[in-house]
Amino acid sequence: MNDAMSIPHLIMNASTVVQLVMLLLTVGSILSWVVIFQRTFMMRRARKAHRGFEDRFWSGVDLNELYREVPPEQETQGAEHIFRAGFREFNRLMPKTRSPQAILDGVQRSMRVAWSREEERLNLHLVFLATVASASPYIGLFGTVWGIMGSFQSLSMAQQATLSTVAPWIAEALIATAMGLFAAIPAVVFYNRLSAESGRLLGKYEDFAEEFHSILHRNLQGRSDAGGA
Amino acid sequence: MARRQARVGYGVPTLLAVGLHVLVLLFSVISLPTREHEPSASSIVQATLVSTETVTDQAQRAEEARQRALARQAAEEAAAQEEQRQAAEEAATQEAQRQSDQAAEEQAREAARQAAEAEAVRRAEEAEAETRRLQQQRDAEAEAQREREAEAQRRREEEAAQQREAEEQARREEEAEAQRRREEEAARQREAEEQARREQEAEAQRRREEEAARQREAEEQARLAREQAEAEMQRLIEGADERVANAQQGQQAANDFIALVRRAVEQAWRIPPNISSGATAEISVRLGPSGELFVAEVSRSSGDSAFDRSAVQAVEAAAPFAELRQLPAGVQRDYRQFNLRFRPGDVR
Repeated sequence: MNDAMSIPHLIMNASTVVQLVMLLLTVGSILSWVVIFQRTFMMRRARKAHRGFEDRFWSGVDLNELYREVPPEQETQGAEHIFRAGFREFNRLMPKTRSPQAILDGVQRSMRVAWSREEERLNLHLVFLATVASASPYIGLFGTVWGIMGSFQSLSMAQQATLSTVAPWIAEALIATAMGLFAAIPAVVFYNRLSAESGRLLGKYEDFAEEFHSILHRNLQGRSDAGGA
Repeated sequence: MARRQARVGYGVPTLLAVGLHVLVLLFSVISLPTREHEPSASSIVQATLVSTETVTDQAQRAEEARQRALARQAAEEAAAQEEQRQAAEEAATQEAQRQSDQAAEEQAREAARQAAEAEAVRRAEEAEAETRRLQQQRDAEAEAQREREAEAQRRREEEAAQQREAEEQARREEEAEAQRRREEEAARQREAEEQARREQEAEAQRRREEEAARQREAEEQARLAREQAEAEMQRLIEGADERVANAQQGQQAANDFIALVRRAVEQAWRIPPNISSGATAEISVRLGPSGELFVAEVSRSSGDSAFDRSAVQAVEAAAPFAELRQLPAGVQRDYRQFNLRFRPGDVR
């Protein structure tokens, strides 16, 4: 392998279209890695926060105290967000209606909205990762096909086509495919991993919402029984 | 609190992603050259060149070139001398020619002078004859006067006296005329002689100058010829040096050629089965001028005749090596013989 076949040399000598494809793929790869790192850190923190909140929630602390712990203007995330949304709705509806069913419906609705927001937050940019994962090989393939077309056009003017005259062109064209795969493979792997993580977290949030709902339901049931008795 | 840090920024991930790509790029740039340095261990035919060219040969050849240059220089010097001699001879003949010309010229000039003198003499004689004739006439007239004196003595005497006087005057005038003519003639002659002498001198001067110029020119030519000969010799010596340098360049060209030969032979080689990996055979190859195979023979056997035969057959199958013609013409001759070492290695 001589100097003419080194990868930087091949990239420099490629045609403009192939170079644009390579640039696009490089940008896509960098952005997808930015997303991968950002989502990974974010997921890890969300998981840690969820574990901490559950510990506090089930430690037997008074719910009013837990609610007042954080000032209402500060935005919260994860299960805490769901809890605050539901508890706020519960406190607002309590003085207005006597019907436990109406209160529970309102609480459930507000918790579903909060859960939906959390889902949106967790899955942010994961679609971009999926796009890179599925489109990069095709973009790379396009660059390769274009490069090989150019190489054959140049080859038609050559006097004799030996392997050594064809080889640099093919290698140059194949770099585009290699870069497409280089961008796509981590994107695929991390998209699956991150979406699984996000699904798991959302499932935990859903479980928490159900549990909180059942706690409120129990609370209301006891109160109406006490009121009725 | 962990809850406060829940929002993750994009700065650190961007840095990480860019760093990752730079790392990958560095790996692709750095690791490739190191891989390049690995020798191709799968090379199964090792060709070693048996060069017929040696350093002493080169020195000898340079020496020969120098001697040739010296011989050529001597020949050129001889030629220059010959030329000079010819020039001298030519000058001598020219000189002789010129001298004969000069003699002829002098003769002509002499003749002219003599002719002028003769003319002067003739004129003088003419003048004398005239005077003589006048004298006779005068005598005759005096006679007639004496005869006529009787008829008209005094008048005639007077007339005669008058006539005599007139004649005397005419004679004097005639004489003066003749004298003047003679003087003029002499002056002209002197002048002519003077001019001829001056011309002769100028001619001699010019001849001398021309002679000197010719001499100088001949010397200049001889000097130029000498310088040329020296430059020629210098060039020849330099050429010999260049040939030594060319031999080194030819070495590289031959290495390329040998690599081509080796590749062709490798492709044509069918290794017989059951050969120990340490077996090594050397095949001596001799090529014709256009790369065709003259001889391929086993110069060092591996001990296994089948292996040796396969190696010879590989060389025969790979021939002719037309790439030999692409070598520099000067080194083709030296690389028509080489050895090929065959060893199976770990490639089967």
